[in-house]
Amino acid sequence: MPAPFERDPVIEAYKKDVDRTLLRANLKKTLTERIEALMALQKLADEARRAGQKSKSPR
Amino acid sequence: MTDFRRLLDALTEGHVEFVIVGGLASTAHGSARLTQDIDVVYSRAAANLDRLIVALAPYHPYLRGAPAGLPFLWDVATLQRGLNFTLTTTIGDIDLLGEIAGGGGFEALLPHAIALEMFGFRCRCLDLPTLIHVKRAAGRPKDLEVLAELEALLEEGDESGGGE
Repeated sequence: MPAPFERDPVIEAYKKDVDRTLLRANLKKTLTERIEALMALQKLADEARRAGQKSKSPR
Repeated sequence: MTDFRRLLDALTEGHVEFVIVGGLASTAHGSARLTQDIDVVYSRAAANLDRLIVALAPYHPYLRGAPAGLPFLWDVATLQRGLNFTLTTTIGDIDLLGEIAGGGGFEALLPHAIALEMFGFRCRCLDLPTLIHVKRAAGRPKDLEVLAELEALLEEGDESGGGE
């Protein structure tokens, strides 16, 4: 483990839609920067979720 | 929101033996995807279970998604009776995994872990080829996009001659 992978045609099909520019930008960051970016994204998602719920709640 | 820094700090300061897997490992390898929790494979050695209990106790671990008020005791006996625990704590969500499909337990994963330094402390993370291997072994349709990204990262690393 792990053996070299055989190419999976389903994964290959998904791979066409991977934004490699985003990955290259991430690879330039330090590990700490990557985790900090993840936490910032999580915070943004939480905030968007809260805003969405607030908009649905009766006034 | 999961405070990845504080959770990792609690585990490393508590000398818990674990390997980061799952979404956070993907992030460490360069993934751009959002993950909400930390997945770790922990050593089932008795001394490590003791350390795990002490390290997370201040953050009141509880079964994620379970109704409040269940008689869930965060102690070594509970860990010994189970294997994989999906927990919520006061500083975020953490999945404690005794084993993972395609990878086994902590000792089996250790040769495939790399040392990472983040936020000033060192911890172990599953290497990218093994992360792909276990994701493939899990065979979950929801992982197909993740796998495509991880394999693209492996290719990017190969092309740049480095990676991590």
